[in-house]
Amino acid sequence: MAPPPVVRLRDVTKSYGAGAARTQVLRGISLDVEQGELIALVGQSGSGKSTLLNIIGGLDHPDAGEVEVLGMDTQRASDSKRAQQRNESIGFVFQAFNLLDHLSVLDNVVLPASFSRKNGDIVERGKESLRRVGLSDFAQRKPGELSGGQKQRVAIARALFGQPKLLLCDEPTGNLDSETGKEVIEFFRELNAKDGVTLLIVTHERRVSSVAKRVIAMRDGMIVETTDEALAVAGGGPAG
Amino acid sequence: MPIGNWSRMVVGNTMRSSRHFILSAFGIVIGIATFVVFLASTEQVAAVLEKIFPVEQVQVVAPQVSLLGKDMSKKLDDAIVQKIKARPEVDPEDKQAVVPRMNLVFPAFGRGDFENNDLKFEVGGFADGIAPEFVANDKDPRISELFKDWDGDATDPHRVQCVPPLPDPTEEVIQSPRAPIAGKQGGPQLDADGKPVMVDGHPLYYNPCPEPDRYYCDEVDHRCHHRVPIVMSPAMIEVYNGQFAKSHGLPIADVDFVKFVTARGGLSAMRFSIGLGSTTVAGSNTQLKRPPRRVEAVLVGISPHAMPIGMTMPIQYIERWNREYLGQEAATAYSSIIVKLKDRHDIAVFAQWLQDDLDLRLEDSLGEKFATAIFYIRLLLVGISIVIIVISAINIGHNFFMQISERRRELGLLRAVGASRADVLLVVLGEAALIGLIGGALGILLGLGIGRGVDWWSAHRVARFPFKPDSWFHFKWWIVLGGLTCAAAFAVIGGYLPARKASRLEPAQALTQN
Repeated sequence: MAPPPVVRLRDVTKSYGAGAARTQVLRGISLDVEQGELIALVGQSGSGKSTLLNIIGGLDHPDAGEVEVLGMDTQRASDSKRAQQRNESIGFVFQAFNLLDHLSVLDNVVLPASFSRKNGDIVERGKESLRRVGLSDFAQRKPGELSGGQKQRVAIARALFGQPKLLLCDEPTGNLDSETGKEVIEFFRELNAKDGVTLLIVTHERRVSSVAKRVIAMRDGMIVETTDEALAVAGGGPAG
Repeated sequence: MPIGNWSRMVVGNTMRSSRHFILSAFGIVIGIATFVVFLASTEQVAAVLEKIFPVEQVQVVAPQVSLLGKDMSKKLDDAIVQKIKARPEVDPEDKQAVVPRMNLVFPAFGRGDFENNDLKFEVGGFADGIAPEFVANDKDPRISELFKDWDGDATDPHRVQCVPPLPDPTEEVIQSPRAPIAGKQGGPQLDADGKPVMVDGHPLYYNPCPEPDRYYCDEVDHRCHHRVPIVMSPAMIEVYNGQFAKSHGLPIADVDFVKFVTARGGLSAMRFSIGLGSTTVAGSNTQLKRPPRRVEAVLVGISPHAMPIGMTMPIQYIERWNREYLGQEAATAYSSIIVKLKDRHDIAVFAQWLQDDLDLRLEDSLGEKFATAIFYIRLLLVGISIVIIVISAINIGHNFFMQISERRRELGLLRAVGASRADVLLVVLGEAALIGLIGGALGILLGLGIGRGVDWWSAHRVARFPFKPDSWFHFKWWIVLGGLTCAAAFAVIGGYLPARKASRLEPAQALTQN
């Protein structure tokens, strides 16, 4: 018997605004993400990719439809249950890094532990996360002292701190130069291949699409699921 | 969210922005400072007023009625005392709940030697008696030991025979004689011919009694008697310190009476004579049954139960002297009856019963009026403080709203990494509470500083006056605790709406804030 999908969406709709200003962002999205997949979610700006990612991560609510993530019906689960799931099973990587400038690099990495009741050596785990992204020597620095690539690696270390089953990345290379972006993408590929972490990456980056096992394209709040069509939507073929 | 993590995050966030902290805490500091200063000052003023006008009891008196110049007032006697004791408003178990007082109602005058000053003062009309047990409640060990009816104790081993002072042709009431100097015997000093030794025209005499600082030789039964123990009210001491001592160049009396007496060489320094039936008032025409005689008294302590202006002694002395000089009726009529009610709120019912059933009334109590005035003043001042604190709570709310706006992305991130709405609410409320607590603590310190400053100014710049306190403030523990609680509570109230707003932020939108 096949394991249940990590993410299961059925007829998910979402709109913003009201009355004449109402904008339909998602139009009946149905999607299954299987365990161990590395999916690139592509599409033009305003196509609904980030909204879809936020709904999967519990950072936003759909207007209608079913959302099941890691076996939890997020529509019916309490706020604290959803928060616990984000804390223990889901990691986020954002385009803008979202590091807290007043905290050290290590404190940023272990921030999720503030809301966890799990015991253990938090500092050691934080250092291990930093080691995985190659920033062991930067633990006591402040984010303001780091380059863009280093900041994103800290953000990835924070996302990995809780050993998530699902990693949701929203334009993770959007603020990085091409060389650093390449390193980050390679890191994601390895993470997926070696650790079996399921990744869902919203991107414009063709290089991401090239390492993805599946590319999902979105247009006007709807999915075009085949890889070839998706690449066309993304604006070109796989990068060399 | 575990409490340790919560507290670390709250402290870290609060200390992060000094601008936000100062803007938010400033109002609380000022509000709590005024709150504690106002409360502490009214508390102290109330304490001083209670010292001047004890308000824990009411005093029953007979309305003054006279017909053709004859006093027709109702007589307060033991029957009335018993009726009052039977009232439901009075605790039957409390032996001190109903205590009669009796005035000395015939002329008498006192003569004392204090700091080499020959003091003469009227005693008749300025002395009363009260049950010794009532005064012994004051917990002053010297009063407990000495304030009792010594003449009522026939077994007193010091009641030995003695030779009283010879009549002094130049004095109606002589000074209380001194103890014998070294090498001299007590009693009248005679020369080789058996004639009295005269010094400055007065016969020389030394107190012959054992323990001469407490006993004197009585001129009626020629035996040693304990001096009549006297207590005075704090009001008398304040009048002495504030006016009398200054105008006569006498030392200020210490609030600690034992210390004051000890510094003057012991109890003997507080002795004086009372000329019963004698007076300095010309034209006094009271019909006395006995010729004047002299007794000796000693001031043994300060008691709030003493009559405000005058002196108070055990009631048995007053009863005996009133009987001796005016007859039985004068020895059974009380001047007032002190009543302690079980509940002060029963005062109206009790007063109505007194008026309807006994034609008596409660003496107008200045203390009661002052206590009421102080209550309203305190209410007003606390009201002003609360208004300041409420404004500061609104200010905290305003600052937090601004800060929440500035911290949207951070709060969104916290939600993303696992904070629930409740976690965010508690973190922001915790920050508000911490600002309130720190602001409250600083406010209390400011209040204490203001108190110190005012006290210093009062001590160095304000002339002494009766009942002038050493400190104008009494920072009781509940005022400090109340200040802190109030500060934290109002800060939390002020921070609630912003915290609620923070907890309801949609993380996805918050994270996309520029």
